[in-house]
Amino acid sequence: MREDQAVGAPERLHPLFLLTGLGASLRGTAGGYAVIAYLLFSGRAATALIGVIALVALLVVSTFIYWRRFEFRVGADEIRIDSGIFSRTHRSIPFDRIQDVDIAQGPLARILGLAQVKFETGGSAGADEGVLAAIPLERAEQLRLQVRSRRLASTETETSSSKSDRPPVYAMDLKRLALAGTFNFSLALFAGLFGLTQTMGDVLGFDPFTRRFWLSVLSAGDPIADFLLAHRVATAIAGALLLMLIGLATGIVRTVIRDFGFRLDRAEGGLRRRRGLLTRTDVTLPVKRAQAALILTGPVRDGFGWRELKLQSLARDEGGSGYHLLAPLAGDAEIASIISEIGWRWPPGSARWAGVSPFYVWTLAIALSPLLLIAMAQAAVARLVPLGPGEGSAPLLVPALLFLAVVGAITARWLAWRRTAYALDGERLLIRTGWWRRRLLLLPLDRLQSIDIKESLVSRWFGIATVVFGVAGGSGYSARIIPAVPRETARKLRDDLLIKTP
Amino acid sequence: MDDLTGDTPPLLAVEPAYKNVLRGRQAVTWVVLWVAAAVADQLLLADTDFHGLPSIALPIIALISLTTAPQRIYSRLRYRLTERFLQVLRGWLLHTDTIVPLVRVQHLDVTRGPLDKLFGTATLVVHTAGTHNSIVTLPGLSPERAAEIRDVIREHVRTDFA
Repeated sequence: MREDQAVGAPERLHPLFLLTGLGASLRGTAGGYAVIAYLLFSGRAATALIGVIALVALLVVSTFIYWRRFEFRVGADEIRIDSGIFSRTHRSIPFDRIQDVDIAQGPLARILGLAQVKFETGGSAGADEGVLAAIPLERAEQLRLQVRSRRLASTETETSSSKSDRPPVYAMDLKRLALAGTFNFSLALFAGLFGLTQTMGDVLGFDPFTRRFWLSVLSAGDPIADFLLAHRVATAIAGALLLMLIGLATGIVRTVIRDFGFRLDRAEGGLRRRRGLLTRTDVTLPVKRAQAALILTGPVRDGFGWRELKLQSLARDEGGSGYHLLAPLAGDAEIASIISEIGWRWPPGSARWAGVSPFYVWTLAIALSPLLLIAMAQAAVARLVPLGPGEGSAPLLVPALLFLAVVGAITARWLAWRRTAYALDGERLLIRTGWWRRRLLLLPLDRLQSIDIKESLVSRWFGIATVVFGVAGGSGYSARIIPAVPRETARKLRDDLLIKTP
Repeated sequence: MDDLTGDTPPLLAVEPAYKNVLRGRQAVTWVVLWVAAAVADQLLLADTDFHGLPSIALPIIALISLTTAPQRIYSRLRYRLTERFLQVLRGWLLHTDTIVPLVRVQHLDVTRGPLDKLFGTATLVVHTAGTHNSIVTLPGLSPERAAEIRDVIREHVRTDFA
């Protein structure tokens, strides 16, 4: 690499990277642990010890060589990163191409005052496009300022720079955090725990549905303990309550670790989000790259007026998701103020909501009807064939459960159908879907990439079509569909959208 | 559609040679399937009553499919290019009607496979930024027509996000 004026002096990662980087590479060698564990369990402790020493030595040496061979230079127009142990990579990232600089600090890095810097370029190459694994925090913020001021100079005149003492757009206090954690309680986790105690309870020694478990937890003599031990039903209820408590605690802990100190501020060109208990992240969400907004809620949260706000964006959020979480739990007024900060109008004015065809329910009913027939056939067989010795009511239980599942699924779809609607609100399309997972998609028409009208073999007979919208960024597209609208309505809607699309 | 621009161009069919491309492509698939079925027939079904059935039944199904499907797929495939958007109607069993506004196009390909070259057709591939349906293909065009459409759309290509 030639030394020229435009490129600054070479810099290395902070020497303490040897510590933080080692942690990361320790996490990355799962295969090594498996081998060592195997050796240990097969009784070859000496070999296992040699394996551990060899692995650690290898990691230390490779981390050190990586650090020795990693150099970056910050020039006037670009940043250059030279890396690689055997095959060298010389990467040059022009400042004009950098969308933003993300800063993240793990627990160890926070103690040491280091930060990981990631240059967001919007390319599809993935996460390792431009990462400086460990540099001092001040240097990281300096770099971010440099990139920002450069971008501002090239795009627009500098507006009044954001003061840190301005009130946040949105922030979570501890009470709100705990509440968000409570709503984070997942039925899936509860069901998983239940299944685990039923199948593995004996091995783990943890099965709250047995007398033995409560015998060891509660000292006998206590009236509650006596009551629990005496009644099977009470034991079962207490077991379920205990599992729910564990589920609740898990939800709260997960939320606190992720969203502690959640704070959203105005920043040049976007919103700045800071959050995290152990790993603290500081991300700027560029408004220009926002493609759509997603307001999520559930039946219970909706009842209390709580919503979650996500932004579908071309930029990647931490963890590689195409959604930026703007607010984990917010009221309507807070949602409105965040959305208006993005530059979109909210709430919708006099938008006229149009529902979808009941065919949405019928498709599911038709698709599930074979299952219903199977359930009935099974029930009939169970009635006709006499029970063998030792068989209880099980033969009727399976068809009954199947029947209930089918009816439940169709009922859920019916509830979802009642909520599913769309509206054309000026320059935006609003789509509301789901009953259990309630989503409201806010899609600006100038972000629309393509429009499909799909008709399947069955829906064609009924003159029903599904409208599918292509939107950039994000992942999964369940909310970008308007299901089951009459063919003519679908065509009319598309024409309306195309007229308004610039 | 009429209220969009007043005089909308009509929906156009693609080259009839596309039917041959489809036949060729399906024939290759069926031959592979037939070979697999014949091998399975000899190895697995040799001692059963069904011995020989797949080897005979499969070519019959293939023949029926080859004589009906390409014609239907071809007659369903229609496209329309206006000043603002490209519309592609396709699908025999599952009807799909796609519209891509020309300003949304990110980049364009004209591809020609071996069969395309044999029968003198080309496929236009339109890429948008969308996660869903980001690639819209229009097969069965003559190479000149594909290049012509590409040049028309190219005029509109621009990126509108930073």
